[in-house]
Formats: sequence, structure tokens, C-alpha cells
Amino acid sequence: MAVKIDSEACGHIQDCPVQGLCIKLCEQGAIIEEDGDVKIVPENCDDCDLCIQNCPNQAISKA
Amino acid sequence: MFTIERKGEEYRKLAYDNLNCVGCGICVETCPTSSLRLGPLVPIARGLIEMDLISVSDSCVFCGLCSIACPFDSLSLTIDGEDVKNIDSYPSWDVQSEIDDEDCIYCGRCKSICPRDSILFERKLPEISSLVRGEISFDEDKCIYCSFCADLCPAEAIELKNIASSSVDKLNNSISVDTSKCVYCGVCKRICPEDAIMEVCSTCMLREEIEVPEISGEAFIIEDSCVNCSWCSEICPVDAITVTKPFEGKLELVESEEKVCKGDSCHACLDVCPCNAVEIVDGKSVTNLDFCNLCGACVTACPQDIRILTRTAMNLININSDSWAEILNSLVSGK
Repeated sequence: MAVKIDSEACGHIQDCPVQGLCIKLCEQGAIIEEDGDVKIVPENCDDCDLCIQNCPNQAISKA
Repeated sequence: MFTIERKGEEYRKLAYDNLNCVGCGICVETCPTSSLRLGPLVPIARGLIEMDLISVSDSCVFCGLCSIACPFDSLSLTIDGEDVKNIDSYPSWDVQSEIDDEDCIYCGRCKSICPRDSILFERKLPEISSLVRGEISFDEDKCIYCSFCADLCPAEAIELKNIASSSVDKLNNSISVDTSKCVYCGVCKRICPEDAIMEVCSTCMLREEIEVPEISGEAFIIEDSCVNCSWCSEICPVDAITVTKPFEGKLELVESEEKVCKGDSCHACLDVCPCNAVEIVDGKSVTNLDFCNLCGACVTACPQDIRILTRTAMNLININSDSWAEILNSLVSGK
């Protein structure tokens, strides 16, 4: 099912209060940094929802 | 860490100490003016964000309910310098973690298991020389300084100085034994190829006159950082530790079709548990209720919201005000 990121709300690493907290939290490699931005790798997502729960901008939701 | 104050007829001060805080959010739940906020528990526990778990807003009315409700002494409200926890008319937690000096054998198992590093421990063991008796000496005329004895000595009591360039020159070699370490086991004598070691153990013979050794020490629990998890009392081999927990009840993992525990992918519960009571077993979170203090931090941390905490009793006593009772008693029941 994976997750999706609301591009308007997302801090895009640079403006994220924790510089990409979702990337740091996800141990499955389902959210990675690519070209300085956040990228979702749906096949790695385990639907644990840690990123959804902890995103400081509430930019992540179920896909 | 924060301190806020209000000066008036009374001087009230509320202080928060992050060190003891476990992030249970009980203060946030009970604050009548919704002035306290719990920070992002999992990122803080994982060290991804450095910030206090609890923050306060200026709507605080300095009632002190949070400091009373906190089972871990992280918040304290003082009125004219006196902590409300020490004022008779205020409620207090009837919890304790204590080591009985009489029964403690100073083995140190409690210290090594404590998840909060809350046990101060020191012990004094007797000198080896007061436990054994014997004699040992080397015949330096026979010794070839092969160092078999020193290499094999279980007590590492034999010191050999052997200067390689002059190994045939016995003047530059020396062998000595530290009698404060020697246990007169005789290993050196048995291995010596030159029969150069004289060793006699007289411990058994002199059994009657060797005093029974005493182990002394000190062990106590630092109440400030203790979270009453009871690891120490469970592991103590002589039942010298008493722990009373703040709550009684249970914590269950209730999965549904949509929501299941993600175990190793998530392990948020394990990261935030102050009691070291959570394990991921076969991909699922398992909480050992023997060590859980029912604080509820894991319930807040679980992104699946499948942890059901049911507190059936609490050891907060002397609640005199009806309005406080209503709020505080709400801690007992589901979360």
C-alpha cells in the first residue's frame, strides 16, 4: 500500500525541521534521499506508519 | 528542562527535569488547562531530535496537578519554596524501590540489569591471602626461566623478567610470585620441567583457623531515576529488593485486519520503553508485564495504535479534592 507525500506540505529535507526525519526513521529503505529530495520506494514499504505518525509537517499519508 | 514561575501572594514555581522523564504523557493527560505538550517520542528516543519530551505553554495556572500525577518525579511544583509532594494535604505516590541491607549479598546483579542505571553499588571483597594459606618459592639455581609457570598460573601471580639477549645469563633473569594473588593451586609446580618450584597448600589443614570472610558493601536505588520496573527485584538471588509499581493492570497487543504489529520494521515500542520490558519476538512486539510499569509510553509511540493499556489500580494515595480525584482517577481505565 505504501505511503505518499504531500509535496506542498513536505519540507523537502532542506526546510524540514529535522532535515528528512522520515528518511532517518524508516529502516526499510522505503523513504530515501535522491537529488536532495525525499523519494518513496513503495516496494520496500512495510506500512508501519512510523513516518506518517512522526512527520513534523504532517505531509505523509497512506497511498 | 524548564522552570516557570508565578509571583503573587504565593511564589509558585514549576520545574521539569528531562532526565527522569519517560515520555509517558501522564502529565499531559491530566493537565486541566491543556498547557503541557508531549514532543515526538520516537524520534527523541532514537536520538534523531534533541529536545525535551515535555514542553509547557503560558496558559499554565501552576496548580501542580502534573507534578503530583507524574509517577517518576519529573515535574515539581513548589509553593514558597516547598515542594507540594511534601505537603500533607496533597496526594502522593505510595511506590518504592528498596534494597534491604540485611539481606543483600552485594553480588551486583541488580546493578548490571537496571535499565535506568539507578543502582549505586560498591562492594569490598576480602583479600585472597585471607582466604588461603600456603607457601611457595622458586629454586633460582634450577629455574630455566621458560615461563611455563607464569603463562599457566590461573591467578596471574607469577612475574618473570626475562631479557632475551641474555637468556643464558641468569643474572639478568628473575622470577617472583605475588602472594596476595597466589591461591596455592600447584599448577606451576606440576608444569615446571626442572622441578624448581616448591609449593605447599595448607588451606585445608588450617581450615579451622582461617576466618570466614566477610563481604561488605553498599547498594541502594536512586529513587529519582528509578521507574519501578522491578528488574532488580526479579533478578535478586536473595530477595533483598522490594519494588512497588505505580499501577496495576495489563497491556495487550490487539491486532485487527487493517492494523497489525510490524515488529522489526517499526520497534517504536521497544525504543521508548523505559523498563526494557519490550522485545520483538518472531516479528511481533512482546511485552513482559513482570517488568512493565504500565506507564503507557509505548501506547503513544505505536503508529498502529494497537497497544491497549488497562490500568486497574494505582498507588496514588491521599487524594483529597473531588476535582483532582476525578482527573487523577481517569488514569485508571483504558488508554
